[in-house]
Amino acid sequence: MSIRRQLPIRLLLFAYLICAALVLAACGPDVPATTLIPKGTHAQRVYDLLVPIFWAAVAVFVVVESMLVYSVIRFRRRPDAAIPVQIHGNTRIEILWTVAPALILLVIAVLTFSTQAANSVQPPQALQIEVIGHQWWWEFKYPSLGVVTANDVYVPVGQDVTFNQTSIDVIHAPWMPKIAGKTDAIPGHTNFVSFQANQEGIYRGLCAEFCGEEHALMRFRVVAVQQAVFDQWVAQQKVAPAPPTGDALRGQQVFLSAQKGCIGCHSINGTTAKGVTGPNLTYFGSRETIAAGSLPNTPENLATWLRDPGAVKPGNIMSTVVKKGWLSEQEIADLITYLESMQLTITKPPAN
Amino acid sequence: MATIERSAQQLSLPKQTKQPVGWSIWLGTVDHKKIGIMYLVSAFFFFVVGGIEALLMRIQLGAPNNTFLSPDVYNQMFTMHATTMIFLAIMPLNVGFGNYVVPLMIGARDMAFPRLNALSIWLFIFGGLMLYSSFILGGAPAAGWFSYAPLSEKAYSATHGVDYWVIGLTLTGVASIAGAINFIITIINMRAPGMNFNRLPLFVWMTLVISFLLVFAFPSLTVAQIQLLFDRNFGTHFFLPSGGGDPLLWQHLFWFFGHPEVYILILPAMGIISEVLPTFSRKPIFGYAFVAYSGVAIGFLGFTVWAHHMFATGMGPLADSLFSASSFLIGVPTGVKIFNWIATLYGGSINLKSPLYFAIGFVAMFIIGGISGITLASPPIDLQQTDTYYVVAHIHYVLFGGSIFGMFAGAYYWFPKITGRMLNDSLGKSHFWLMLIAFNITFFPMHILGTLGMPRRYYTYEAGMGWDVWNLVETIGAFAMALSILMFIVNVFISLRSGAEAPTDPWDASTLEWATTSPPPAHNFDKTPAVHSRRPLWDTKYPDLEVAHAPGAHGATRREMAARDHGAAPSQDEGAIHMPSPTYAPLIVAFGVTLLAYGALYLSSTGGISAIACLVGFVIMGYGVVRWVSNAHADAPH
Repeated sequence: MSIRRQLPIRLLLFAYLICAALVLAACGPDVPATTLIPKGTHAQRVYDLLVPIFWAAVAVFVVVESMLVYSVIRFRRRPDAAIPVQIHGNTRIEILWTVAPALILLVIAVLTFSTQAANSVQPPQALQIEVIGHQWWWEFKYPSLGVVTANDVYVPVGQDVTFNQTSIDVIHAPWMPKIAGKTDAIPGHTNFVSFQANQEGIYRGLCAEFCGEEHALMRFRVVAVQQAVFDQWVAQQKVAPAPPTGDALRGQQVFLSAQKGCIGCHSINGTTAKGVTGPNLTYFGSRETIAAGSLPNTPENLATWLRDPGAVKPGNIMSTVVKKGWLSEQEIADLITYLESMQLTITKPPAN
Repeated sequence: MATIERSAQQLSLPKQTKQPVGWSIWLGTVDHKKIGIMYLVSAFFFFVVGGIEALLMRIQLGAPNNTFLSPDVYNQMFTMHATTMIFLAIMPLNVGFGNYVVPLMIGARDMAFPRLNALSIWLFIFGGLMLYSSFILGGAPAAGWFSYAPLSEKAYSATHGVDYWVIGLTLTGVASIAGAINFIITIINMRAPGMNFNRLPLFVWMTLVISFLLVFAFPSLTVAQIQLLFDRNFGTHFFLPSGGGDPLLWQHLFWFFGHPEVYILILPAMGIISEVLPTFSRKPIFGYAFVAYSGVAIGFLGFTVWAHHMFATGMGPLADSLFSASSFLIGVPTGVKIFNWIATLYGGSINLKSPLYFAIGFVAMFIIGGISGITLASPPIDLQQTDTYYVVAHIHYVLFGGSIFGMFAGAYYWFPKITGRMLNDSLGKSHFWLMLIAFNITFFPMHILGTLGMPRRYYTYEAGMGWDVWNLVETIGAFAMALSILMFIVNVFISLRSGAEAPTDPWDASTLEWATTSPPPAHNFDKTPAVHSRRPLWDTKYPDLEVAHAPGAHGATRREMAARDHGAAPSQDEGAIHMPSPTYAPLIVAFGVTLLAYGALYLSSTGGISAIACLVGFVIMGYGVVRWVSNAHADAPH
């Protein structure tokens, strides 16, 4: 009987040990969106607050669960047991266990408020970047630098950056787990998040507020580079891509033709493409991904996307026009040559 | 109304104007016990449906880049899973137990308004079925269970799904408010002699608290939903920034309801635990007043914390801090309850039966849910954890590890009373262990997934994020949980057919529902019981037991203490008992209202037909009301 009783408890312990091992494994390198390896000031301060609270929580968990399990095992009914002493309560103990948790919470509250104060500072000299959520991609504008781009946001390492976040449709929430916590991008409102990236790298960005059918495929990349590289990037972004030749020129003609409709939604600097519904595609060749992180940016994936965007990302606006067969294989090949030909010449940091 | 008629006749027999026969045994019933059973059965049905939706989601998430469900269907699944579990499963399970047990516990013969009670159950069933009919009538809602505007507006949710969500939940909301008023009046007015508030069983206390929460919180949801309905169908723009509205208004209105709702879901389970633990420890609850008043405190504080769901909306550091502080504060009464439960077990003579297992499971899992809530109450940490699987873990530790474990404790505890049969205890324990282990395998890894950056409500994820293993583990756990629920269903069927017959008081309990037969007669008690203490049944069973440590007891026995009690007049002979007759009127009213609701839903898209549906529904409702009133007149005691 006692073995039968203990077996489930042992199984439970075993399961928790396995979990603990896997948790340790989870801190390894292959977790691009983890909050446990902060690489930005905002996320770092949250992490520094989380660690002491986590250990306090573990201590409370162990103490309280032990009290519970001990009481059940120690006071289980034995054969011929008499009615136990009828204790109704004890005011002193009640006060003790009201005050003790209150004190622990008070300490946590003080730590919380100081971190919160630090994380809500918006340095006046910070680089201002407008972040605009669209169903389902991200627009990034640098008003002071005259740059507009999409889905890859470049920031200088070690410099204050402030995201001014809003949305043109529903509520989104840009989240860079390694760099900064999430704050909603709400239509009709502007929210601010200030942070510094501490280390060069390409970081994951995700949409955290449910925003409809393709909420899961609304990713972005934060490319954190040294100030000098960032300046180069800005300088190149401000110059229109060189005029294409050969296959790329044919691709550009497809892109700009009224019949195919690309320019109804997309812009490319230096051309007649001025659409604003979809992402600006200037220097598309240097983007990390296609369709807000739906696919890595390779010619093969771009072909998959252009053949049938609705198959990759059901419900997206482009798929209402570009269906299977809308573009011929030749047009797709030319478009790929054109779009991938628009390359920046900066050195990107490694993925992080 | 259940009135007591004094008559010259000595014999106390229930007298009804009409005896229920045939269909009217269920469809026309106004008996709180039958209505309670209908609540429990229909809520359990929805619980299973919501569970199946969860399994479909877990299949989709079992592997990266899976294509088992399309994004739109996946979004419908999680919207309906949460809506079902919250509004159509846990809430009505609470109401079901409350309906069955509360009048018995306070020594009453029925709820204060039996016909209103019947209206509540029918509105709940029709509202739930109406919500589910959206699956075959153009698509279920897919905007999440809190339907944030503007995503829930017509421009972004074009099908009628959100309209079904609004109107279906409005119907169940009317049912809930009517039920809450019914509980408040019943508990305040219909207590047996001597059952003062200081002697009220804790389950009754918690039902009273959540009834007040419902009355004050639900209107906020209903108002917001009607505004959303008008935005979607009649051109208003309460939540549309393009027309001067504000999406954040929706969030404030929703969470002003939504957070008290969390306590509406958990407090009754806490009440059940506060009955089960003392009964199976053979000790009174430790710190009765602290347990009761901490429940009241949680109820009050529950109205001051709603915006902790909105730390990411940019309310500013001051508002964030205030809502954070009130959220920390609510941890204190919650902790008090947990310590009192443990102290109740401590020093007891613990009878290790299935209801107790589930009660212990509740405490053990709720501790985890309470602890994980602390970081969510801290705004800076919340910004890393909100909208991730960490929140999904937290809510399931509170609502499954908490509420559902509590509901199962209640099911194993009261099944003998309700059916007259014992549930199989060893099958019950197997159910418990499998459910406990599977629950932790399913939901504990969600804490880790959230910390590793996986947002909630993602229908897909890419490989190489460090999420694959955990998702697979969770999917396996979810199916094991389903298996454990299946064990419960099997247990119910086996026990109904061939379970041991339940005695009147199988657990040696102390509250009044165990003073009558299992199952109780329609009129509950042949004689209204008199109450002299918090544990009236123990006064009768153990009259010579010392009432140690009770205020002013000084070693007196229960018999002596009862004799000193002047609160309860000695039970008198009550003459004939009058019980209300069965009636179809509430069913007819609910049917008319539902037809009216279908009409209103399509008013903006198919004007003519839906206007006719509205009219017909209104007429049916009017007929039901007239029948109700005349019936009530005919049924009055003579």
